[in-house]
Amino acid sequence: MIFFVLRRSIFAIVLLLIVSAFTFWIFSALPSDPAALTCGKNCRPEVIEANRIRLGYDKPILEQYGGYMKGIFTGRTYGEEGAAIHCSAPSLGYSYDRHECVTTLIAKTLPVTASIAVGAFTLWILIGVGLGTLAALKRGKWQDRVATGFSVIGVSFPTFFLGLISIMVFVIWTGLLPFPQYSGITENPWKWMTSLILPWFVLAVVSAASYVRMTRNGILEVMNEEFVRLGLAKGLKRKTLIVKYVMRAALVPIVTIAGLDFAFLLGGALVTESIFNLPGLGKLTLAAVINSDLPILVATTLVAAVFIVVANAVVDILYGYLDPRVRAK
Amino acid sequence: MHSKVVAVVALMGLIASGCGGSGGGAQSGEESGGRSASLDGAQEGGTLHVLTFQEGASTLDPQRVYTGAELGAWGSTFTRTLTSYQPAAGKDGTNLVADMATDLGTASEDLKTWTFTLRDGLTWEDGSEVTCADIAYGVSRTFAAEVTAGEGPMYALSYLNIPEGDSDFGSAYPGPWLADEEQQALFDEAVQCDGQNITFNLQVPVADFNYTVGLLAFAPVPKDKDTADQYGLAPFSNGPFRVESYEEGVEMVLVRNENWNADSDPVRKPLLDKIIWQFGVDEAVIDERMLADAGDDKNTIVYGGILPENLQTVFGDDSLKDRRTDGFDGFVSYTMFNVETVNCVEIRKAIWLALDREALRTAAGGPFTGEFATSFVAPLLAADYEPAKLVDGLNEDGTANVEAAIAMMDKAKEACPELHARATGEGLRFDHPDSATWQKNIAIWIDSLGAAGINIIDNPIEASKYYSTINGDRGDLMRSGWAADWANASTVIPELFGQDGGFNYHNNENDPAFAAFQTKIDEAKAETDRAKQSKLWKELNQYVMDQAWSIPGSATKSQNLVGSNVRGAYQWMPFGWYNLGAIGLAG
Repeated sequence: MIFFVLRRSIFAIVLLLIVSAFTFWIFSALPSDPAALTCGKNCRPEVIEANRIRLGYDKPILEQYGGYMKGIFTGRTYGEEGAAIHCSAPSLGYSYDRHECVTTLIAKTLPVTASIAVGAFTLWILIGVGLGTLAALKRGKWQDRVATGFSVIGVSFPTFFLGLISIMVFVIWTGLLPFPQYSGITENPWKWMTSLILPWFVLAVVSAASYVRMTRNGILEVMNEEFVRLGLAKGLKRKTLIVKYVMRAALVPIVTIAGLDFAFLLGGALVTESIFNLPGLGKLTLAAVINSDLPILVATTLVAAVFIVVANAVVDILYGYLDPRVRAK
Repeated sequence: MHSKVVAVVALMGLIASGCGGSGGGAQSGEESGGRSASLDGAQEGGTLHVLTFQEGASTLDPQRVYTGAELGAWGSTFTRTLTSYQPAAGKDGTNLVADMATDLGTASEDLKTWTFTLRDGLTWEDGSEVTCADIAYGVSRTFAAEVTAGEGPMYALSYLNIPEGDSDFGSAYPGPWLADEEQQALFDEAVQCDGQNITFNLQVPVADFNYTVGLLAFAPVPKDKDTADQYGLAPFSNGPFRVESYEEGVEMVLVRNENWNADSDPVRKPLLDKIIWQFGVDEAVIDERMLADAGDDKNTIVYGGILPENLQTVFGDDSLKDRRTDGFDGFVSYTMFNVETVNCVEIRKAIWLALDREALRTAAGGPFTGEFATSFVAPLLAADYEPAKLVDGLNEDGTANVEAAIAMMDKAKEACPELHARATGEGLRFDHPDSATWQKNIAIWIDSLGAAGINIIDNPIEASKYYSTINGDRGDLMRSGWAADWANASTVIPELFGQDGGFNYHNNENDPAFAAFQTKIDEAKAETDRAKQSKLWKELNQYVMDQAWSIPGSATKSQNLVGSNVRGAYQWMPFGWYNLGAIGLAG
């Protein structure tokens, strides 16, 4: 098992290096000129060129990448003399649009996204797997029809639509909830929760829908396996069989998908954060896209990639735990 | 600057993004806000909320801010300057008043030296004294290209008597961070402190320099609090409010500055305890909340306007009369000719005659977006505004006349056959920012000019690079928009059409008509009699129309809705938005 984890971890690091180089190259190749973006309407070409040198965009791409990677471990200084700004390690760049070190911005926004992701993910797994299991066990009955109906409706609603409707209903028309305004869990736990209830439910409804289907189909498929019939024939209790054997086998593909979904969510729930005005990674990324703020775009892409790669590694390891045949390979 | 451009473009885009204003029912017409514009029932205290779809302010840094609404908002709350504007609705709001200075300044006879005396008792938010050195230091920051990056107004560079040199801005003084002793001495010579007196030595005569120092670019900054590029995240206050917190994408909280000395401030009469700006709120949600007017939203104003699809609802409902405003925002859009390449007035006039401004306005959203401009000076600049006589042959309502355009092209064929051949053959290059709005607009340009036989070569330029591009490489036509920097057309006509005008992209200096024009500009700039000066600006505006160096587009308008408890929310003319610091709450 140790070698399995080690192997997966080394693979994840190599993958991250490749992703970071590719991301850096892609954004450098875009037509937007980051030096021009640091300059105002009164800008002269001389200022753009001077800023290009200050930001290091005049250097070859490999050298820029080297400097960027070095900054992650040693920190970086931007600007000159008294006007210089130092970004401590791990430095992911400096945003001249937001006037802050990108790492600081990510540190501010990541807890918001994590709060959304953890709550929403927990809810949708509970709802999705719960309803899916119920639908499979009550196949053909009204519970099955309600659960599958929910999944069809949930999948059909776009997040922005459901988000806007929920704000209208619960905030503006009935006043049952305050307008979401994020506060840290340690600063004001009640405000933290009230600001996140709607986003959690909206994301859960939209995402749980597909889990209902996956779980239902997975359980029904496993229940047709010979070992299930054998277990029943040998007198194993139905409840024990389902919980200990059927669920474990049916959950393998769901764990894979759930791991990746969670990682995607940690990379920023772009639409949800925008609709509910939650200052998370997704909103930061969206603003960076609008303002062509390349340092933030590179960093948020890298952070999202880290989550995906890490989640992949975790899923692989979990997969190995759930299915010993994977470890053996 | 980028964020500032985005802010302005976003605001303009919002205004221009379409509405159903022309379809009967509510029609655009100026509305002042009724009861919400007065202080009727306003009490001391309370928290005002400001909702905006923007992710943040363009900047809070005084030397970088260049958005009208923010100049007014920051100036009325946490950044005081030597002079400012009377806090009043209507034309009175354009009156210049002494702020940190004891009076409106004293100019030398040649108008090249201006001296202001600071009031006693001026304080920073930590209780320390605001000194002349703080103002000088603040002004010096404009020269620091590596920090201010050309985002704010550049009058300090063009007016102060500092020779040209090698700095990124072409000055011998590179700003306080990079200057050596010798370079610093050049600035200290241009801006001198003597006790409570600050003297500005200018390289050109400027009759209205006391307006110039009302810009936040001339505001003080304490050197020991300056964090260069990051100063805008936590600016130090010398006004009645201070910035308690500012976080882009989240909120900004302004609270009362306990160390503000009311006796030193004859301009501001703050009522509120607190102002909370909430950034990044969805525009549709903002409109719904403002219409519902529940809870804290009764104490709320909006920075950014009303969605076009909701304008009918807002202006068709009389119960909202006391909460809504509809007025000019201070901007005039226009299309510039490169007079060097389109050096034939007949061609320029033919294009003007053929251009379908009505179609452009309809595409933008109809009458709510603005009125056809009849001057490059916005109507808000009441003293200097006068509708000019437009090109002969336009329809009475200012719309296109294709027949007159064709007749003018026939004249052009005689007067300038080469340019005529190019205009009707390969075509004239039109530079514009690459945006969804302009993708629509350029099609109207091509169609309407095509009806008069004039061809257009579409040249979209990435929006963020637009101005820096046309600074070097200019097409035959270029679009732009402008709002005055202070309540004087000296920040419009010379800036857009004069020699060394910061935004003159017309290449008109070699036009035979230019010399007389420039002489008159110099005369107007040096004219100290405001009435005479206004007359000169109006004549110069007419002169530009006659030469057709530019085609005026629209004097743009914006609409807003405030909460039912809001009072004193009047449109402050110099800034095209509310006087934030003067707002109070009822109930």
